[in-house]
Amino acid sequence: MASLSTDVLVIGGGATGTGVAWDAALRGLEVVLVDRADLAEGTSGRFHGLLHSGGRYVVKDPRAAEECIAENRVLRAIAADCIEDTGGFFVSTPWDDPDFADRFAEGCRATGVDCEEVDPAQALREEPRLNPDVSRVFRVPDGNIEVWKTVWALARGAQARGARVLTYHAVIAIHRDGDEVTGARVRDAHSGEELDIEARVTVNASGAWAGQIADLAGIEGVRVLPGRGIMIAMNHRLVNTVVNRCTMPSDGDIIVPIRTVSVIGTTDEHTDDPDDHTVLQSEVDAMLDDGEKLVPGFRRARALRVWTGVRPLFEDAKAVDTDTRDVTRAHALLDHRERDGVGRFVTITGGKLTTFRLMAEETVDAVCRQLGEDRPCTTRTTPLVGSESGEHYRLSERLERKEEHLRDDQLICECEMIPRRTLEETMRRKATMNLDDIRRELRLGMGPCQGGFCIYRATGVLHGVDGLTAEEANGALLGFLQERWKGVWPILYGDQLRQARLDDWIFQGVLDVEHLPS
Amino acid sequence: VRSELHFDAVVIGAGTAGLVAATRLAEGGARVCVLAKGVGSTHLAPGTIDVLGHAPARVDEPGRAVGELVAAHPDHPYALLGVDAVGEALAWLAERIAAGPLPGYRYVGSLERNHLLPTAVGAVRPSALVPETMAGGDLRSDDPVCIVGTRVLRDFHGALCAANLAKAGIAARSVEVAIEVDRADANAVGLARRFDDPAWRASFAAQLAPLLQGDERVGLPATLGSKDPHGAWADLEQRLGRRVFEIPTLPPSVPGMRLFEVLRSSLRGAGGRLILGAAVASADRADGRVAAVNAHAAGRDVRYVAPSFVLATGGFASGAIELGSDWIARDTVLGLPLRGAPAPGEQRFVREYLAEQPMARVGVAVDAQLRAEGAENVLVAGAALPGAVPWRELSGEGIAVASGFRAASTILSQATAGATA
Repeated sequence: MASLSTDVLVIGGGATGTGVAWDAALRGLEVVLVDRADLAEGTSGRFHGLLHSGGRYVVKDPRAAEECIAENRVLRAIAADCIEDTGGFFVSTPWDDPDFADRFAEGCRATGVDCEEVDPAQALREEPRLNPDVSRVFRVPDGNIEVWKTVWALARGAQARGARVLTYHAVIAIHRDGDEVTGARVRDAHSGEELDIEARVTVNASGAWAGQIADLAGIEGVRVLPGRGIMIAMNHRLVNTVVNRCTMPSDGDIIVPIRTVSVIGTTDEHTDDPDDHTVLQSEVDAMLDDGEKLVPGFRRARALRVWTGVRPLFEDAKAVDTDTRDVTRAHALLDHRERDGVGRFVTITGGKLTTFRLMAEETVDAVCRQLGEDRPCTTRTTPLVGSESGEHYRLSERLERKEEHLRDDQLICECEMIPRRTLEETMRRKATMNLDDIRRELRLGMGPCQGGFCIYRATGVLHGVDGLTAEEANGALLGFLQERWKGVWPILYGDQLRQARLDDWIFQGVLDVEHLPS
Repeated sequence: VRSELHFDAVVIGAGTAGLVAATRLAEGGARVCVLAKGVGSTHLAPGTIDVLGHAPARVDEPGRAVGELVAAHPDHPYALLGVDAVGEALAWLAERIAAGPLPGYRYVGSLERNHLLPTAVGAVRPSALVPETMAGGDLRSDDPVCIVGTRVLRDFHGALCAANLAKAGIAARSVEVAIEVDRADANAVGLARRFDDPAWRASFAAQLAPLLQGDERVGLPATLGSKDPHGAWADLEQRLGRRVFEIPTLPPSVPGMRLFEVLRSSLRGAGGRLILGAAVASADRADGRVAAVNAHAAGRDVRYVAPSFVLATGGFASGAIELGSDWIARDTVLGLPLRGAPAPGEQRFVREYLAEQPMARVGVAVDAQLRAEGAENVLVAGAALPGAVPWRELSGEGIAVASGFRAASTILSQATAGATA
């Protein structure tokens, strides 16, 4: 069996895991990162895209609010290209307790979250679709953050400093030598080959799956309470500012404008299985109703896609199983030497995307303590790959880029404006047989037609670039078609149903993909 | 100012069903007008007239298979139409195409046997009546095929098509031909305009000829001309000295647009009117009948009055039937009752994309004569009819042609009966 050794083995390729890899690599440590799937395929890739100002937590969880605003400022500086500076509003709608607004303002003062009360008339001038009956409006520095861009920038930065990133490598065993963890065995999902990785310290950054990984290490009682939440992307930017209900955290309390869509979120249901992606009809209806409260006419917009994410909420003594929102959003770092007497093993879980860098910093601090080495963290001031200029992303950027090649390159995905050459370069680099891997990097098929036009084209290009067999190409096409349908069928109505039928016309009527040779 | 126009029949929708109905009505002497929001199914569909392709096993003899389908599914549109009516309508359509504005362009086939034509991804697709320009690709023949791709056309990938055909046991390979165009984003329509040009065609053939081997037949994306496709196709066959056939691309569909031109020309030749950009905004309904429909076109509101209407507006894909966010499906054109929709709270769609979707068979409720429930002078045709799964079973055009034809015949016979009485 093949084997390799490293200073730090990171299990989990979400924002936290790639953040740990980047942090550790910057400190001069050798890093190997493994994930059972692609980067950001778990919780990180399944949220609404909010860069928290901290406003959401100022009343409920002041510690989380303080962390959020501090990290918000750091990320704006180091991950500028991944962030769109939309700003955010907290609004009191007729359904919200009017007294909460004063508690909110007081909470912002106490936690240091920048907050300015705005005349509702002014807010409506800025956001004309906002419910005209809002009584109070507060401006906060919310934004949106493109998670795949962030995670890949972290991974590339780490790779440039020697880190190895092994996607589609699932951990099948954690190696123990007495009271120390010595590494892990992973299995390549594509080839089935196994690999032993020996590490001076192993970091369990597997989020909602952290309990499962801890179990493999023979460590009991790491209980992560998965909280399932649904999000719906509506076509168009119904608002250009993040809009939050000014109330205690609850279902359907936020609309985040990101790229060409607006995402409403979310629910919070306890689930025992972090791979549970159930979408209930009642949840969809409730989310659309909540959308109406913030933006009247919300239901008439086109619902593009629904998905679920699973929050990794670390259980504390006060947690109540039925409402995971009561568990702190702050993160949990477990040094298993102190907690369980098992050395060279650290678990980081809980938290939220906005605080991933802080979580990584604290984790690598703990790693260095275990190694007995003094290596200071530099992520607070080091820009990510692509964010060196310090300029925030602007929605018009992709049009600007497309204009440069308007006459000499084809658009394969018109919704997301992906030129053929970009697609071909990415396919060559990733050497994947899976169009969903391409989607997470380029947003292939994520627009209004949900792949109707680009899936066939991209399969043809992939077949040519990677020299796939017919069987592999068909697998890519049918797999991506099913993957797109997964997020569409529970919310099909109106124009999106019309679109889906047009897509049927293409895939079933014209191409007859159901009857490809098998 | 609102004006009022009177016709013997008004057809709503300019897809295959609507155009067939209107042409047949005009030929029968009726003063007919087609009102349509825009062009319809023809520009999306591959241009073949599929009667029944999968039931769910591959159908080789569509006439016989329709008979079996009807026995098992009494709610299917074919059960109302009967297989003989399908045959009659197809024969009528084939005559119109042969006599149409595209010289020499014709369709071949019948209800006896399905052709087995390659799709752009290399699946084998059964179809009853197909353009002669596609028939050479019939995979019932063992002759080897060479699929020709070109990078400029992102909507056709020859190598992928050939790889799947080879996988299905057909001697198939692919070659690439470089085509220079003004813009990288050439689509099928743009390429078809080039194939209309004899000089361009000659240089294309000269580039392709040395790449071909043995007795291969040559599969090209369905772009062989829009003005004179028969001429372009025959010219290429002659220049290459071998069989040439077209394979449908992603929309826009060049063969479908040819079919639209044929039907539009037949309609006009017979004295019918076609008004595109005239979406029906409302209907005057009373006593179980539609007295008139109101449309806004060319800057004015017009009331179209007729004793008979044909509703050929399509299903969900055209927007004629809409599922609201309250999960209730509605006919958005005339507000007629639907059939086949799962009730709110019932499962509308299922997790597996390629499985049959519960919402798929929704349509405007009709009686055995295709008369809409609640509006006895409205006849329903095409994808607006309930009970079929046209994409899964490859039956859309067969239903459209046969039901459009039947709706027209019913109206004409009523008019005759009325005149006699």
